[in-house]
Amino acid sequence: MFALIDGNSFYCSCERAFDPTLRGKPLAVLSNNDGCAIARTQEAKDLGLKMGEPWHLASKRQELKPVIWMSSNYALYGDMSRRMYELLCEEAPRVEPYSIDEMFLDYAGLPGDLLALSARIRERVRTVAKIPTCVGIGPTKTIAKLANKVAKGVRGGDGLCDFARKEEREEAYKTIPLGEVWGLGRASVAKLARRGVESVADFTALRADEVRELLTVTGVRTQAELKGTVCYPFSVSPLTRKSLAVTRSFGKPVLAWPDMEQAIAAYATRAAEKLRRRGLVATAMQVFLRTNEFNSDPKYANQSTFEIEPTADSFALMGDAVRAGRRLWRDGFRYAKAGVVLLDLKPAAELPQELFASRDPERSARLMIALDTVNARYGRQTLKPAVTGLGQSWSMRRQRLSPRYTTHFDEVLLARA
Amino acid sequence: MFRFMADYKGDETTGFQSPAQDYIEGVVDLAAILDLRRPGRYPVRVKGQALAARGIRDGDILVADAAAEPRPGVVCVAMVGGDVILATLTRTGASWVLAPSSGPIITVAEDVEVWAIVQALVRTAV
Ligand SMILES: [Mg+2]
Repeated sequence: MFALIDGNSFYCSCERAFDPTLRGKPLAVLSNNDGCAIARTQEAKDLGLKMGEPWHLASKRQELKPVIWMSSNYALYGDMSRRMYELLCEEAPRVEPYSIDEMFLDYAGLPGDLLALSARIRERVRTVAKIPTCVGIGPTKTIAKLANKVAKGVRGGDGLCDFARKEEREEAYKTIPLGEVWGLGRASVAKLARRGVESVADFTALRADEVRELLTVTGVRTQAELKGTVCYPFSVSPLTRKSLAVTRSFGKPVLAWPDMEQAIAAYATRAAEKLRRRGLVATAMQVFLRTNEFNSDPKYANQSTFEIEPTADSFALMGDAVRAGRRLWRDGFRYAKAGVVLLDLKPAAELPQELFASRDPERSARLMIALDTVNARYGRQTLKPAVTGLGQSWSMRRQRLSPRYTTHFDEVLLARA
Repeated sequence: MFRFMADYKGDETTGFQSPAQDYIEGVVDLAAILDLRRPGRYPVRVKGQALAARGIRDGDILVADAAAEPRPGVVCVAMVGGDVILATLTRTGASWVLAPSSGPIITVAEDVEVWAIVQALVRTAV
């Protein structure tokens, strides 16, 4: 049996955990560069704030005047997700962090009342990790996820929903619209709707070969999961990626090459850090830059994709990225975004030694370990290649950022004695 | 300061082999001693001198644990209305009450949350 536990308005809940003045108030957290709403409390939803609404428009709407806007504080959200995970590990034998705010629990082999256990877990996550959640229970991940939707749901969910028993969930399937099922995209739902398949019950009643014809094999798996057959087992391997991207929109337009050079170098450095954390090397790279797509600025966009000598070395990757960026750069434009994407990633251990012809892999590995050790101990930006810049005028706009309460010594919660 | 060997710990020498190489332990890990990785442990900084009599001074970092059982007499971090305060937790009859160092007793109710219980203290300037 699986459970899916999901943080309610997770980013907003993280903010509220430390700032009691935000409780009971309409609150929204903005995307990078304070672009648009990516998390909303119930109070903000009730005022009519939509997911993805751009801040500069929404903040002018009269009915949204009471909304409190905050920049995204990912250092805080990441640490609160870690707390949630560690706490869940105390309660369930296996925990799969599926996303920053959703975790699957494997209840296999646990005795007793799983609904009562879930209620207890939910209460502990609220008091210890400070995050209100909803829990859905089911024999497959897809059912647990659907139960979670119901628990959270508009139809008066009370935070817990148990779809362990076949008769109960099949009764509920009759009234649940297909759009709520995990793994069915909007196009699939529309296609099924044209055939008169609208509820989950309609979908599970289809023959498997009909499903295969209408959708793909993914659709067949989703149907099997909804009927109680596990197709997506419990997983503890983090997302394996063939590529790794660090791309950002600039806080303000970049006009001069030295600023762009800093940005590209910083992205390459960050990408290299992530690469090393996963024990991978990159064998190809893409660099791109572009102007704003939406305003009236003159348009320019260009990208370059090329093979590189396999490496995870910050300096090597930075050099490759900056050289490519220089070739793409044209004076006279207002650049809005740039990015470095590392491609064709391979485990470092799998590479034959002679591939490292012009680089000294051992020296590089030692230097990178030193770099990562210092940054792990003293904070991510302590040691970095000088070209990544000290001022960083191009860096993200985050005007409404809360303190990094749990990860930064100078920003911890203040309590009045 | 530049170190040629970034991670020399007393073990890997260049001339004579270090007799300590199988006994290297690293520095005392205060994060482990203070159990900072536990999911309920939060650092909190003290503002104000009112708890000085209990040895808790302005600027101290408290390690507060949201998973700890409340007991009468402990110092806790509490959210009262919109304020984050430190108070001594006590009991009157069946209900928990907060005794702030100044001001009236507060009964733990709807808008009063015992947020975490103070377990340890770090002072970086003595
Ligand atoms: Mg969520």
